[in-house]
Amino acid sequence: MSADLKARVLAAAAAEPSPTRAAVNQRNVVISMVAATSIVGALMIFATLASDGQLVRLGGEVAPDRYVERSVWLLLTTAGGALGIVAMALWFALRRGRSMLGRSRGSLLCGIVLIPLALFAWKIGWSLALGDSMVEWPERTGLKCLSLSLLVAFGPLLAFLAMRRSAAVRPALNGAILGSAAGACAWVAGDLWCPVSYVPHVLLGHVLPLFVLAGVGAVLGQTVLSLRSVASTRRTLGEPRTGGQTFRE
Amino acid sequence: MERYSIGDDAAFAELYDAIAPRLFGFLRAATRDEFATEDLVQQTFLQIHGARGSFIAGAAVMPWALAIAKRLMIDGARRRRVELGLFAHPSIDGDRDASPPAAMAAVDDLLDATRLERRVWQRLEALPEIQRSAYELVKQEGLSLKRAAELLGTSVTAVKLRTHRAYEALRAVLREGGVS
Repeated sequence: MSADLKARVLAAAAAEPSPTRAAVNQRNVVISMVAATSIVGALMIFATLASDGQLVRLGGEVAPDRYVERSVWLLLTTAGGALGIVAMALWFALRRGRSMLGRSRGSLLCGIVLIPLALFAWKIGWSLALGDSMVEWPERTGLKCLSLSLLVAFGPLLAFLAMRRSAAVRPALNGAILGSAAGACAWVAGDLWCPVSYVPHVLLGHVLPLFVLAGVGAVLGQTVLSLRSVASTRRTLGEPRTGGQTFRE
Repeated sequence: MERYSIGDDAAFAELYDAIAPRLFGFLRAATRDEFATEDLVQQTFLQIHGARGSFIAGAAVMPWALAIAKRLMIDGARRRRVELGLFAHPSIDGDRDASPPAAMAAVDDLLDATRLERRVWQRLEALPEIQRSAYELVKQEGLSLKRAAELLGTSVTAVKLRTHRAYEALRAVLREGGVS
């Protein structure tokens, strides 16, 4: 190890100030607020375009002369429970446990699968118990809900990636779990807006987006969270390279 | 690292003293290139410096630092592979630390040994990335299977298997060369 390496490292670090934990926490609070605002904003825009501004819908016409209602209790139960699952999903996705390497591959994969499953099971379970909104709604295949979920989740996904910034290992899986968590946030918005509990509709419009977002998150994670080597750190400090351009030369 | 993450800038020098030698050893064994090693050490510390605000209180620093170093090394190698179109192969007369003890050997033995060394290096290069990484971490860097598994993001069993396969591949080269 050359004697001046330490001096170079310290000089390079001093030349590029980095945020402390307090600054990062403050930044994350701001990003979270922006993400929350983007969720509400996206839901409002979508509701304005698709349902005359109705953010919460308690029923609709299933067929001519047949109106199905979603009770307030069912809405509160499914949305409230989904909020709880979202809170756990966010904790799981944004926290890295006790290691700087983050969660294991197995637990990340479990999270990506279990988050949509838990949300689906919660909604269908309570819909079976508390309402009759599980009937087929021929005009509501789920494509609108699919677009709603993707639109609403877009902001949170970018926010979560900004909060994570980098992942030394498994960047794609870390991105995927962030996508899944963003999709979970969108689930709550979709649950408020959509009164349909018909299983194929829920699978297409509410569950599928979570897997799509996990895929998008994986791609973005691999791109954004991966560590990148700098071409030459010495060059920035004014020292020309004289060799060692490739490994095992 | 904990002190550094909350804003004690002076702690960075102590952090360097604590982890740089091992980091340097790891990278030196992997790259066998002094200049590239120093470059990667510096980049690794800059990544740690940039991420200090995200450091988890009480977390181990060394596995994180090694993971960053390994990722940067792979990324750098990929970048060069794209730039050059191929990996450079080791030369016969390169200044390897592990050169055969030529002083007492006959010229033929020396040539045989050099050729064999070249074949071993080529075989190591040709190994799948996952096997080579596992082999380098466990056999060259001397990490435990558990630590190597953490770094590679896989299970201990998988690391053991990959290392064993790499080891067997290299042994096969030695057997072909008449070394038991």
